[in-house]
Amino acid sequence: MSGGIARGRLAEERKAWRKNHPHGFVAKPETGPDGSVNLMVWHCTIPGKAGTDWEGGYFPLTLHFSEDYPSKPPKCKFPQGFFHPNVYPSGTVCLSILNEDSGWRPAITVKQILVGIQDLLDQPNAADPAQTDGYQLFIQEPAEYKRRVRQQAKQYPPLV
Amino acid sequence: MPPSMEDQFLDGADSDEISRSFTCCVCLDLLYKPIVLACGHISCFWCVHYSMDGAHESHCPICRNPYSHFPTICQMLHFMLLKMYPVAYKRREKQTLEREEETRCFSPRFDAYGGGSHTYKKLKIEADPADPSITVFEFKLCPDSSSNRVKKHFADLMQRQPVSLPQDFVIPISKQTSGGNPQGATLADEENVVLKNNLDQTCEQLSIADVQCTACKQLLFRPVVLNCGHVYCETCFNIPVDERFRCKVCQVLHPSGFPKVCLELDNFLEEQFPEEYALRREAVQLKAVHLHDAPSTWSKNSGIQGFKWSSVPKEEYSTWLRDNGPKIHPCAGCDSCGMYPIVGDRYRCKDCKEKIGFDLCGDCYNTNSKLPGRFNQQHTPEHKFELVNWKLKQEMMRLMVEQLGDGFAAPYFSGISLEQPGDPTAAFVSLDDAEETAENAAAIVLDDDAEETAENDVNGLAASDAAPEL
Repeated sequence: MSGGIARGRLAEERKAWRKNHPHGFVAKPETGPDGSVNLMVWHCTIPGKAGTDWEGGYFPLTLHFSEDYPSKPPKCKFPQGFFHPNVYPSGTVCLSILNEDSGWRPAITVKQILVGIQDLLDQPNAADPAQTDGYQLFIQEPAEYKRRVRQQAKQYPPLV
Repeated sequence: MPPSMEDQFLDGADSDEISRSFTCCVCLDLLYKPIVLACGHISCFWCVHYSMDGAHESHCPICRNPYSHFPTICQMLHFMLLKMYPVAYKRREKQTLEREEETRCFSPRFDAYGGGSHTYKKLKIEADPADPSITVFEFKLCPDSSSNRVKKHFADLMQRQPVSLPQDFVIPISKQTSGGNPQGATLADEENVVLKNNLDQTCEQLSIADVQCTACKQLLFRPVVLNCGHVYCETCFNIPVDERFRCKVCQVLHPSGFPKVCLELDNFLEEQFPEEYALRREAVQLKAVHLHDAPSTWSKNSGIQGFKWSSVPKEEYSTWLRDNGPKIHPCAGCDSCGMYPIVGDRYRCKDCKEKIGFDLCGDCYNTNSKLPGRFNQQHTPEHKFELVNWKLKQEMMRLMVEQLGDGFAAPYFSGISLEQPGDPTAAFVSLDDAEETAENAAAIVLDDDAEETAENDVNGLAASDAAPEL
């Protein structure tokens, strides 16, 4: 294993999260069947913002951290086929703060990433499309886009 | 998993409260061997080094300000934190040393407290690196010298400003010291206190001698930290217009523009020493009025003058892969001025045995720099140097080998991708960037598939679909 600081940082991230995190969000390192913790993969939930078409949806997001974290950003993935102009068909989120060469800074925390992605949900970036479906509807058929977003929010009800 | 199990897992590290000001933004732990960048942001020695770019200019991990020189550890902050958080700081020391031993690459070590004068001394590496004796800080206060200096400082102040001052010139950190720990507290007591309480109740006392300006020897007012790690008041520097600044202590040239005030430290000092800080502010303002000059005008001037943050023009990094570009030595830094990577001539020590080696840039070689190495190398002035024969292909090879090697000593490289074809991380980059990266990568024939990957993304078929899960 490389001597990087990824694991130490992630342990601190988790501690900070447990002390305080935004309402409705979930962020947890992956746990194996034997209870062992894998800090390099986190399972998260992002709530759709109230007052938007995303409201009511609790969207599952997985963060994959590399040994180079925090020099390099984590890969953030929604489920495959997630409907959003800036999400690749594979589910990977395309966002400037998650791009190593432009917006990423090692000081960005997991909390900031999740809140940033929550903002992105309702404010897609038309200059940076990542899927055809979501992008074309967003640009050409706003009404249908809205319908699809609401439909998707219903697909991801709160996990109680 | 039941929460208790995760509790256990996370409690592996201690959970004492560290003031937010002194939490490293990269590792989110207590700053260890802190480095202050020109933008005034603080991070740990390894956190800074690890986030530096071996082939391009680097960016501050907090604000992305570009810089090209790896600064020296700020010893004043180092000893200040050691005093404030003795338990947590020693834990950090232990952890760091373990990692350093794994990689056989060490950060500089400091011995006895220099009484505030930040003397730079090195401990010899013992034959056995596991020898615990070398991991113990020989941390001794020099109460006589420092308190005398502080007394003198206050005597000076008293002459100018008739203000009542505390009897004891050592200002307690605690605002509620009455029940504070006696000096002879055992380590266990200390630990309890540190674990239970935060900064406000730490037993150690920080005195002004710990946080004084290298030049005026008074409490730091709007502190700036030069690339050499020495700390000055912002106003203690007369700025030579169009010239570079030379540290008054070590005579080392500061490579880039005038550094910004280290705000975390500044706020901390104002909180800890409110009276003294106010006195300093008044004194500085008074001086400024005398000079018919607003305080810190020059720092604004220096902004207008347009001092560059990065002393190496950005274009140099992007053109080095062409044959006529400047000679850039990826992953090789100058052990004297800290330029990383070295641009121009590079001299390598033939006698240093350490894995990381000892290098100097052309300027530092020509000025016969006698500074110790950045990684605790046992370099001596008697060692001989050789000029590194720079060949583009060789440098590329070295870059690849180092990148594939251990990740701790070798930092990461942006823009040059060695990823496997169809690596899922390729999907990270936005479309524009992906294309650009792909072009660059294709030009240096390191990653022919990147372009294809980018095209795939455009077609709505992300590369990661085809790639195996991590």
